[in-house]
Amino acid sequence: MLRRIGMYLAAVALVMAFGGRAQAQDKLKNHFSDVANKVKAMEDPSAKREVLNESLNKMQSALSTVQGSPLVSKNDKEGIAQFKVTLQDKQDELAGLNGYAGVPDAQLNDFADYIVQDMEQAETVTISLVALLLIILIAVLIL
Amino acid sequence: MESVCSKLAGRNGAHVFLGKRRPSLVDALRGARCLALGLLFCSCSSAPPIPLDPSPALESALPIDYTVVFVIHGDGGYGFHDSEGREYKADVEVLAGAKQVAERNSQAEVFIFHEKRRTHTLLFFPRSDGEFFYYRSGRLIAQESYWRDHGESRFDPVVDLFDRFYVAGQPRRARFFLYFGHEIPEVGGKGYDASYRNWTFTVHDLADGLSRITGDSIKFDLVALSSCFGGTPHTISALTPQARYIIASPGNLHLSYLDVQPFETLDVGLRAGDVSDFAKDVARQSYVRLTTELQTEITVAVYDVDRVQGFVSSVDSIYDYSLTAEEGKAPGGLVRCDCADDSAYLRPAMSEGVEVFYRPARFGRSAAKLDHSGWECLQLRKP
Repeated sequence: MLRRIGMYLAAVALVMAFGGRAQAQDKLKNHFSDVANKVKAMEDPSAKREVLNESLNKMQSALSTVQGSPLVSKNDKEGIAQFKVTLQDKQDELAGLNGYAGVPDAQLNDFADYIVQDMEQAETVTISLVALLLIILIAVLIL
Repeated sequence: MESVCSKLAGRNGAHVFLGKRRPSLVDALRGARCLALGLLFCSCSSAPPIPLDPSPALESALPIDYTVVFVIHGDGGYGFHDSEGREYKADVEVLAGAKQVAERNSQAEVFIFHEKRRTHTLLFFPRSDGEFFYYRSGRLIAQESYWRDHGESRFDPVVDLFDRFYVAGQPRRARFFLYFGHEIPEVGGKGYDASYRNWTFTVHDLADGLSRITGDSIKFDLVALSSCFGGTPHTISALTPQARYIIASPGNLHLSYLDVQPFETLDVGLRAGDVSDFAKDVARQSYVRLTTELQTEITVAVYDVDRVQGFVSSVDSIYDYSLTAEEGKAPGGLVRCDCADDSAYLRPAMSEGVEVFYRPARFGRSAAKLDHSGWECLQLRKP
């Protein structure tokens, strides 16, 4: 119960801080861009993979947590489910699973950009402000 | 109102902060009160129009050969990053480009509508959420703020401003309408504007707005939709009465993909008077730039509206059936696909009247897809 209240209060605080859904979306985009920058700043391909994989895993965990939250609507849950499928596809491609050959070492920087660009042009209209804020709260600030 | 604000600021500044005597508490409180009043006045104001240039030179200015209308939607998530990690707002970038187009065309009149997020001063006092610029012969003639929610339909303020400044009675060599924003819904359309979640906006509203801008009997020579998923049979069909040529992306293309630079020199671009060639140049230039910047799929298409009618009418009913299913949330849901990849939409002459510039995404399931028909359709999601 305390955890639920805490999450709710944090979401409200973030609403106040960001002032709207567009800002929340931008915050999420910044997160993916930061990860891409981090990847591109590294030399070692295995370290790049680790950062990408860890980031995608964290986001998946955050989405699962928010999806199970009573604060989000049925529509949000559907939107989150679609978002998770998109991210899973990228995890599969990175790891060379489910029919993917895997991303070659030399293309990891481009792949990091691909994740950012795909996220930025995807419409997240089906996810409400509260759900977006919870995702940011968990994925960016807590995990 | 700008003068009131500047007077208030000036008075405060001189008296409280710039005076030689040491400011007292009373002065500070008075200054704070004036500042609050200033903010209040500013927040409730619309910027007054810059008056028409009274110089006679304007009256004898070059003839107006072109009318260009930009509608730039900025009331949503329009942030993006380049590959260096720099952050941009798509609508702000486009606005700067539109102003350059306006300033560099000596024989054009250019209308720019920037639809902004609704904000408040001191949490309560709403600020205007639309900004309008009118240029003629390369000069800024008018600039004013407006309220997007004034009027019964979304385009009322746009049409009113257009009618106020449009120079009638001069034949135009070409008319252009350029829309920048997120995907324009084909049905429903609720939630398009972040500030007005209950408003709806569909391609039919856009078509209605275009017809009110030019009148029913006049078509835009070129309509450009710089948005995702504009290249569908339904959207092209909806805009058919208002456009001769359409540039649109059938894919999920990056924000503000359209390159406006070719519009900066309309006299050069339209030297031969061929809008079709000009449209292809615009699409090609946008495509070439995007291939250097993006890892995601790039699809930019030019539609010759008359020539694509055969295909559009042949798939109309099938597409509309899918749209209805989408509206009713069909079980399993619908996904977008290249029309050529679904036998229900595949037609021998589907490429008639369409010029496509395509490069697949560098990653993802469609990375090996070699070509695109230029048409995006809807199909049931595979289990």
